[in-house]
Amino acid sequence: MTKIQINGRELEVDPKQPLIRACHDHGVDVPMYCYHPGLQAVGSCRICQVEVAGAPGQPSRVVAACRTPVSEGMVVQTDTPKAHETRRECLEFLLKNHPLDCPICDKAGECDLQDYSYNEGQGKGRSSEPRRKLHKRKSLGDVIVLDEERCILCSRCVRFFTDVTKKAQLTVEGLGSRSVINTFMDKPLEGNYQGNLADICPVGALTSKKFRFQARVWNLSKSLSTCAECSRGCSISVESLRGKEVKRFRPRYNAAVNQWWMCDTGRHALAPVTRALAPAGAVLGGRLTGAAVRGYNGLEARATEDTLPLVADMLATHSGATLVLSPFATEEEGKAALELARALGARPQFLSPAPNGLKDDLLHTGDPCPNRRGLTELGFEPVEPAALLAQLATAPAAVLAGERVLELVGHDGLAKLPSKLRLVAFDLEAADHACLHMAISVPTHVEKAGHWTNVDGHRGVLNVAVAPPAGVRRLDQSLQTLTRLLAGVSSKA
Amino acid sequence: MVVVGRKELTLAERLYLPEVMRGLALTFGKFFEKPITRQYPEEPLPTDEVTRGQPRLVVKDDGNIACVSCGMCEIACPAYAITIDGGETDRAIEREPKKFEIDMLRCILCGFCEEACPKDAIFMSNELELADYTRAALVYDLEKLRRPKSALQRRIDYVYKLSARWRRAK
Repeated sequence: MTKIQINGRELEVDPKQPLIRACHDHGVDVPMYCYHPGLQAVGSCRICQVEVAGAPGQPSRVVAACRTPVSEGMVVQTDTPKAHETRRECLEFLLKNHPLDCPICDKAGECDLQDYSYNEGQGKGRSSEPRRKLHKRKSLGDVIVLDEERCILCSRCVRFFTDVTKKAQLTVEGLGSRSVINTFMDKPLEGNYQGNLADICPVGALTSKKFRFQARVWNLSKSLSTCAECSRGCSISVESLRGKEVKRFRPRYNAAVNQWWMCDTGRHALAPVTRALAPAGAVLGGRLTGAAVRGYNGLEARATEDTLPLVADMLATHSGATLVLSPFATEEEGKAALELARALGARPQFLSPAPNGLKDDLLHTGDPCPNRRGLTELGFEPVEPAALLAQLATAPAAVLAGERVLELVGHDGLAKLPSKLRLVAFDLEAADHACLHMAISVPTHVEKAGHWTNVDGHRGVLNVAVAPPAGVRRLDQSLQTLTRLLAGVSSKA
Repeated sequence: MVVVGRKELTLAERLYLPEVMRGLALTFGKFFEKPITRQYPEEPLPTDEVTRGQPRLVVKDDGNIACVSCGMCEIACPAYAITIDGGETDRAIEREPKKFEIDMLRCILCGFCEEACPKDAIFMSNELELADYTRAALVYDLEKLRRPKSALQRRIDYVYKLSARWRRAK
């Protein structure tokens, strides 16, 4: 460790990290645009300049904190008039060509340039030259759109591809005031990590096409969660508009799992959590909000509290039921299911769909079960959809529990099963298969709290980001009630 | 205990009728004076540019709404009356409101939205009347809020005049 002094405080800092990291780690705010802790420092924006005392008898110098290594006995001042003046001058040049787009810009509210201009900048521009006019809407592939006028040429996006995905795709084209960001030969961006560009861009130059103009960021309520798309379980924040509609998933820093990044598959996996509800009174054609029981006229809506005793009666009369949990089930739901399995005398299993071929070297594991390790450690055995269908063909009764479990088993296979199989599904949506006798609604993974264990054994947390629709009960509670009812039924018999 | 003595009445007062006559004279006298009341629904209230009526959205001369759904009025609104959802357009200004709702029952006509707007898109009109059969009908949507710029021009000029004065004072 190296001893340095920042703003009069004696600190011990890591000698391998640049000065800006030492400042940030000890709660000293130094602005930054081009510096990103996950990328190589280039020192192009010069906004992180701080004052460093010179050798005895020498004047102090202003240096870029991102490109300056710490050295023993360094005396750093971030708040002096000289440092402020230098940063203000840099900011004035950065704002020279930056359009006054804040009312339209998606980045407004989480924009570094906006924040530091507010803190340090001046309200009026002194330049009489016109601002440069460039492309406002340049598409860079399916995910990202570039606004060249807003770009401050920090080159974070260029370095993201060279440093993180290791495949250069962007470059700074042109010279001087004509410099713009562009892809090589105007080719669209490719790869599964383009969405990160919108996160790392310090201004609103690179924005996400999917999120564009969907919400003002200060209206989004953020909730810590874990990505559901693969067994990596990246730490994410689920952001919902006014606490109701989930608008975006963004990565959140986790040194052990995903650092600052996440893949586009996970980022854009909003469809499973933003399904429309079934029409009032109906059980099909959308998300189920209560329960459904098969009567003479097909599936009929019913309250969950009234359906669970029916399920218990059915399971008590049809012994030898199969119990299969969805791969999205949390540890807490797994424990509740384990008790139910014990009561039923069933082998605890969880559904394990085949790898989806999205595996890469960076984050995506290709395994679509976010809690495979957690469920395996609890004692659940993986079962492939095809093997499960073979089991169900001969089983007297079955309980499939967890979000999207019917969809993952495959509706084609389920449709062919005989109606003498008594199938109970705890799922987001019901389906009109002859074998499906009862369906009970469950919350999605953004509507429940719990834990998933990722492929490396890291325990990821899930929090309630949006409230589940009225009538939806937690899966672990439903399973616990069912176990209790089952004990009551068998003791009566 | 305090005893309040009663005033001794004069003869005319005790006779009662003269006092009634006096009162009737006052009443009949009013018949021939200019009325000071207003027949309100038939005779509308006089308004001018200072009137801070319900907020309305400006439709520019090219037919497009001036609002870019930046959300400044939504944040400035102390009564949480405004809800905006933005969306993309093909025009040069890429953003426009897809949903813009003002709950007129919540609106307190404070004019903060007008002050907060960076695009001169929302102004306080001279419309003050608010009556309907349901609460839902009083949550005004984009269609009910649109007004051509000419209809709000007097207020716009007034606001510009005021802000010029503030700028000079600074």
